[in-house]
Amino acid sequence: MERLKIGGAQALSLAVLLAAWEGAVRAGLADPLFVPAPSAVAAALLGIGPEALRLFWETLAKTLLAYGLAIGLGVGCGLVIGSLRHLYDVVNPYLVAGYAIPKILLLPWIVLIFGIGVTPAVVYATLHGFFPIALLVIGGVRDVDRTPILVARSMGATTWQVYRKVILPAVLPSVLAGMRLGIIFCLLGVLLVEMFAGVRGMGHLLGGLANAFQAAELFAATALVSALSIGIVVGLEALNRRLGRWRG
Amino acid sequence: MRVLAWRAGLLALLLLGWEVGARQLNPLLYVPPSAVLPALGRILGLEAWPEFPEHLALTVREILLAYLLAVSTGLGLGFLLGLRARLGAVYEPILAALYAVPSVVWYPSLMLFFGLGPSSKVAFGFLLGFFPVVLAVLAGIRQVDRHLLTVAASMGARPRELFVKVVLPAMSATLISGLRAGLALTVVGVIVGEVLGAKAGLGYLINYAYGLLRTPEYVALVVITLALVMAIDGLAAAVEARSRRWSA
Repeated sequence: MERLKIGGAQALSLAVLLAAWEGAVRAGLADPLFVPAPSAVAAALLGIGPEALRLFWETLAKTLLAYGLAIGLGVGCGLVIGSLRHLYDVVNPYLVAGYAIPKILLLPWIVLIFGIGVTPAVVYATLHGFFPIALLVIGGVRDVDRTPILVARSMGATTWQVYRKVILPAVLPSVLAGMRLGIIFCLLGVLLVEMFAGVRGMGHLLGGLANAFQAAELFAATALVSALSIGIVVGLEALNRRLGRWRG
Repeated sequence: MRVLAWRAGLLALLLLGWEVGARQLNPLLYVPPSAVLPALGRILGLEAWPEFPEHLALTVREILLAYLLAVSTGLGLGFLLGLRARLGAVYEPILAALYAVPSVVWYPSLMLFFGLGPSSKVAFGFLLGFFPVVLAVLAGIRQVDRHLLTVAASMGARPRELFVKVVLPAMSATLISGLRAGLALTVVGVIVGEVLGAKAGLGYLINYAYGLLRTPEYVALVVITLALVMAIDGLAAAVEARSRRWSA
């Protein structure tokens, strides 16, 4: 009941906002060249929707490639660095710095070296996703309770068994958190590259529409990407909850 | 001590490898560190761009203005939604969903609306910095121990006193880290905006140097921008350490 009420209030707020926006444009309070009315945006969505969707899948394909690489590298490095204390002491400040620096500064260089197309987008997005995933996994490994490891060892478990049966299950929540964060970082990276030096893809479409002053189409495409990204995140959350239940 | 030596050694090894590799492959593309230092001198000596200080000052001004806007609206909206539980229940999920959208998709719309000048950078920096602040206020308020509120109220504390003496100190740690995360994202937003399309500022210079293939200047500008980012973050860390002492 409470959830229904909240949902109703949200839908109502959205409707009021859209109506006020539409009214403001119709009354001449906003210039439709810059702020097209919601009705114009909806009409534009019908026109640009199919192309935008096709380009979004292209962007998503690059994102998934980068996401796979970022997870593989991030989880791998995270497990190794997190479990070797000396390596951690030496390398961690560099990883934190790598996470903190605005990656956009490296983008011109990556484009210069890898040209335009799929490769720079995947390289840049992998870089974007790698650091948060690696740092979360490192934190997870270092927070693993030492006692079960000691117990398993004293009962004669091999190093491999300790990893598989004790450390990995304990680290899984950090890995999942990293995966949830990573997808947005990778998608952001691909869109940025496409905007900066793309010839295809969603980011290129958005940048092109802005340059061509097609505000209605731009708003429609932006809304579409936003909705799809929210959908991806919500889907991952649901998957995460299901995995959490399975873990017990 | 030995850790520090290892860290310095790793950095030296990286720089050496870079120097040797860049000379072997293509010095123009891979810019050996030895070519960066003279370029750094040319920029800081105002030979490369006499108007360099103005570009730097513009970027700093954009960051400050955007952060001021992000903090004031973030705190205002955060406390409004946090202290009015019914409003919060309706609008917090909307904010959280919007935060999941890869932020760069908003930039073309902002550029169309605000133009190529500084306002679109301020708007984008504001947008990026706003979310961590507002979400930190909401998380902080949720964290306040209800018992403390009940006890203080039963002892006759007025709402104002409750807020200043109980709510604010109890949430200060979360709030401060949110403010710091917001600052970091504002900086990223302004720089991303400048690189994607501007007429002045550090990001503009970076893009300009890259476009003319003046790669040593490009790398030197990246170094300068990183120094600016680190200086801002160091300042924020100092303020954070001070206020933690105050709240404890």
